[in-house]
Formats: sequence, structure tokens, C-alpha cells
Amino acid sequence: MACTFCHKGDAAAVDMKTAHNGIVKRPSDNLKICGMCHKPIAENYGKSLHYTSAGQRHGVGGRFSEAEVKTFDEKVFETACRSCHASCGDCHVKAPAVGGLSIGLIEGHKYVKRNEGKTCAFCHGGRVYPEFTGEYGGSVDVHYQKGMMCMECHKKAEFHGDGNAYRSKQEVGDRPKCQNCHKFGSQKEYKMTTRIAHEKHQGKVSCYGCHSSGEYRQCYDCHLGTGSTSKPGFILGKNPRNMKEVTTLRLIPTVRDTFAKAGIKMENFDQLPNYWNAPVHNIKKRTDRTRNCDACHVEKKNFLTKETLIPNGSKANEGLIHSPKAIPIQR
Amino acid sequence: MRGLKFVVAVWMIMMLLLPAAAAARDIAPFESTGWLEKSLKSPKVVIVDVRKPEEYAAGHIPGAVNVFYGSWAIKRGDLLNELPADDDLRDVISAAGIQPQSWVIVAGKNQTMPERTDVTRVAFTLRYAGLQNVAVLDGGYDKWVAEKKAVSTVAVKPKAKPYKGKFNKQFIVNKDYVMGALDKALIADVRAPEFYKGEKKLDFVPKMGRIKGAVNLPPGLLYNPDGTYKNKADIEAAAKPIVGADLSREIVVYCDTGKVCTNWWFALHELLGYKNVKVYDGSSMEWMKDTVAPSAP
Repeated sequence: MACTFCHKGDAAAVDMKTAHNGIVKRPSDNLKICGMCHKPIAENYGKSLHYTSAGQRHGVGGRFSEAEVKTFDEKVFETACRSCHASCGDCHVKAPAVGGLSIGLIEGHKYVKRNEGKTCAFCHGGRVYPEFTGEYGGSVDVHYQKGMMCMECHKKAEFHGDGNAYRSKQEVGDRPKCQNCHKFGSQKEYKMTTRIAHEKHQGKVSCYGCHSSGEYRQCYDCHLGTGSTSKPGFILGKNPRNMKEVTTLRLIPTVRDTFAKAGIKMENFDQLPNYWNAPVHNIKKRTDRTRNCDACHVEKKNFLTKETLIPNGSKANEGLIHSPKAIPIQR
Repeated sequence: MRGLKFVVAVWMIMMLLLPAAAAARDIAPFESTGWLEKSLKSPKVVIVDVRKPEEYAAGHIPGAVNVFYGSWAIKRGDLLNELPADDDLRDVISAAGIQPQSWVIVAGKNQTMPERTDVTRVAFTLRYAGLQNVAVLDGGYDKWVAEKKAVSTVAVKPKAKPYKGKFNKQFIVNKDYVMGALDKALIADVRAPEFYKGEKKLDFVPKMGRIKGAVNLPPGLLYNPDGTYKNKADIEAAAKPIVGADLSREIVVYCDTGKVCTNWWFALHELLGYKNVKVYDGSSMEWMKDTVAPSAP
């Protein structure tokens, strides 16, 4: 297949200017181009979260008044958020330019069907992927340690969509669950202490709450145009999406004046917390919490407290504070 | 009675010789790609490829198992390249199908010092865990490929076997131990001279300088320009003027994080026969944070 099949231009021209006449830099931004050969995938993909970026809009939308939603859509979503949407080529050919990094052409415009270090890591290379490999936080995920990659747990429909237009990934039904592989009560729970710990914490603490092994990226103070800063941290607290459960929390960087430049005050800022449940990809069989009950029940290590909440954060943050009870000693 | 004395004497001699026999190696500490190619089918050989799973999937030495570097060295608190907990380390070794009698060849990338010392750190960790026959693949996977030797893309799923080897805890020392050994042991700073002299430091090391009284044993002295290891005579010639010829002298090696210095630990202890070499795992990251720990300049 010639370059001009996708990129147009004039292959017969003898000078660059003529050759580049009518050239299309990112042909796969138009899904019809890829859909010529990959029709079913392209049709689904047009509605997928990777393409629509709807998750970003929905995630922050709860902080806006109705009027602010309109302003956000006009001034921010299309120009900022949507610029991050992934075309087919962003994953399968050219890595999106994150932090100025782009190796597509250096790799010889190579198509890759599946290569998580490229198809996934160049967008998810700030948080999830380097946490998974241990390059951020210093604790490699046990699944990566065993050679498992993203697609061992995440299925194709999560990337390409299933034909439905979801508002956020929370609405997607078929997402990875630890218990798909690790059943409670299985023979692998050969230690009595393991069985008891799982029974006692089931429904109260997420798997991540005990098995996330170390610090992960927390992002602070995002401002439209300048971005945010980050540092490693480990935070436990109530899951804002399921307040009966304690889990790992990740600070999201939206602050009160994030969209001030666009004239958005975020009238409902305090409706949503600044911390969200995070399925942290740095899982270990043993952690300081699985080794010692006191880490949570006595020391209350890494639990969100009033003192550790970000300054001037959302009022909803206080609802996530959880103080584990001491374990009653039976005599 | 004389017969009994003879039996006791023979038994005592055997007991005295036992440690030497136990310390004997069946394979060289730095094995060549040529040797490995000939030994691929040996049931004792376990090749441990410490590169990333994605690199392993793209091609590896036939039969190699992939146990990524991060499985062997973890971040603990602020310190990088620390040993995993004993039970976690046993799990890693067990999952790789390694047994105490295995001949383990550690292979990885070989272009840079951090890549070369990923391999020596893993080899050191296996020795720490009690494995006797552990070797570094000289030149690494890069040399293997450059020599156009066979590569495979078939992932090897080793059969896990519980590993019950006895750990060599004496190979690792902590800050308190080094403090107490400053006047007795030879402390060897395995960093480039500019770091030893206090002219440069890495970002994560709190301040410039070295442990007071340390000698400089630069990591680069071990390698030929192509990244392979120098021969034993050349390594010995490089080491002796710095660490001396007394093979029983206590030597503590350190670097910035406890990774790079394992190349000299491996060369001194495994190749040259220095019997009492230890790694200070906390290294400069820990030492230079302690305002009481004596440092120079």
C-alpha cells in the first residue's frame, strides 16, 4: 500500500512542495480512512471512550453549573480535552506527542497490532504503565513480574469500544476484576490467615487497599494551559463511588481555579471530591498491610486525615476520611 | 583406640575441607556466549533474562525464562535497589523454576553501566539467596544477537518449584555495620572518580562525597571497550593495587544505591577469590543522608 493511499499528496511530484500538495498529516483522525479496510472496528471505535474522550468531560462535568457546561464544551473540551483523543494511528502507528516524545517515524512508520509498550504506554505512560513496570514508585506489579501485559486483563472491547457510547469507563460492564482469576475460597488460599483476612475484609476493603504495594503518582494543581505537577504518594480512604469500601485513592489535579482562564468558576466544585478510587497497578502478594494488621488497625498508616487533605480542596473530601477500628482482642 | 583417633582425625579434616568443597563452582562466574550456546540443552542450566517482558517477547535466548529486574530489586522507603523480603525473594526464585543445584546464567542488556549492573545485581542476589552456581552472561543478550545466535519468541513458562536454599546473609551489611567497620574493613567506593572525589552526584543522593576512608574502585575498570569483561589477569591487575592482595581481608563495596557495586563484588568474591566481601546496600543514598555518618571530602 503506497503512502498516498492514506496521506494523499502527489507521489509522482519531483519537488517537496508539489508532493505535499493536499497532504493529510493524520489520516486516521478520519475513521473512514481506516474503516475502508477495518470497518467493524472503526465503527465501534467512533463511539469508544478512547475516541470520544467523554470520560474527561463527564469526570469534571459534575463541578459545573448548566451554563458552565456550555462554556466548558465550547472553550475547553473541544480545544483541550478532545485534542487528547486517540486516533487509530496514535496507538498503532505513531505515538502521540506526550511531553514532546514521539517515535513513530523513527520506528520507520511501523504498524503494530499489539505492543503494549507502544499501543498503551505512550498515553498511559504518566501513571498506570510506569507504576505497573515499577519505573514509577519502585515496586513492579506482580503480574508484570510474571510477564503479563495489559491485554492479559483488558479486552479488545475496552480499547475499540463495544458499539455503545458511554459517558465514562464506570459505565462499561466488561472491565477486569481481580476475582475473574483469583476466586475467594480457592485452593490457592492455602493459609488460614489468608482465608480469614479475605473473609473479614470482603466488601469492606478493595483488593487494592491491601495489595497495592507502594507509592503511585498523585497530580496537583492543574491549571488550563500550564498543566499540573506531580509527586508519589500512597493514600487510603473511602471509595467515593462506593462509600462502604476502603480503597486506594488518587488525587486528581482539578483545583478551584483550574478553568479560571476560560471564565469557569466551577459553581459546584464542592459536589465532587478531589480524590478518586484508583485501581493502582502495582499489586503484590505481600505488602506491609498484608503482613501486619497493625499497619492499618493501629498505625492507620497512609489513611487520609483532615490534616493531610489538600488545602482549599473540595468539601466532599472530608467524607472520604476513614479511621480503621482497633481489632478486638478475644480473651 | 588408635583406630578411633584416625577416624576422628579424618572426620575433622573432612569437616575443615567441607566449606571449600561447598564453595566450589561448576561454572565460571562470567560465562561466554559460546559456552552458553553449547550448554543450552543442559538440564541444569536456567537462563534468567532480566530485561522487560516486552523486550523478552520480541526475542530471547532459547529456553530463557523472563524475570524482570524489578522483581529482584525493590524500592524500600527512600532507598532504591533493595533486596525483596526473604519470602518474596523465595517466591521469585521458585516461580523461575530455580533449584539449589541449578546453574543460573543471568542475561540482560549490556550497552550501559546501569544495564550491565542490572545483571550483576541479580547474580549477586541469587548468590545471596544461596545459589552456588550463578554466572553473568559476558556481553549479555546484545552480544548473543550480534553473533547471530538463535533467538526465540516462544515464552518459556517455567514449572514453579519451592526454593529452599539457605541465604548467605553475610553478603549484605547495613549502615550500622559499616560505621563499626570503618577502622577495620577496607571500604571500596565503586563509582566513577568524579563521584568519589565529590565533584559530582546523582540527584537522589543527598550530598556529594564518599564514606570517610574509602578507596576508589571505579566500575569501568572491569570492562573491555566492547562491554565484555576483561580477563581474570587484567581484572586482578586492576584490583590488587586498590584493594590489596590479602584474600581474607574484609572488604565492603558500595556505590550510589547498591547496584553498580555488585559488579566488583562479583569480580572480587566470585572470580578473584576474596573471601570476605560485602555489599553495603544502603550505599551513598543512605550514608549521605545521615549527618553523623563520617564522609569526605
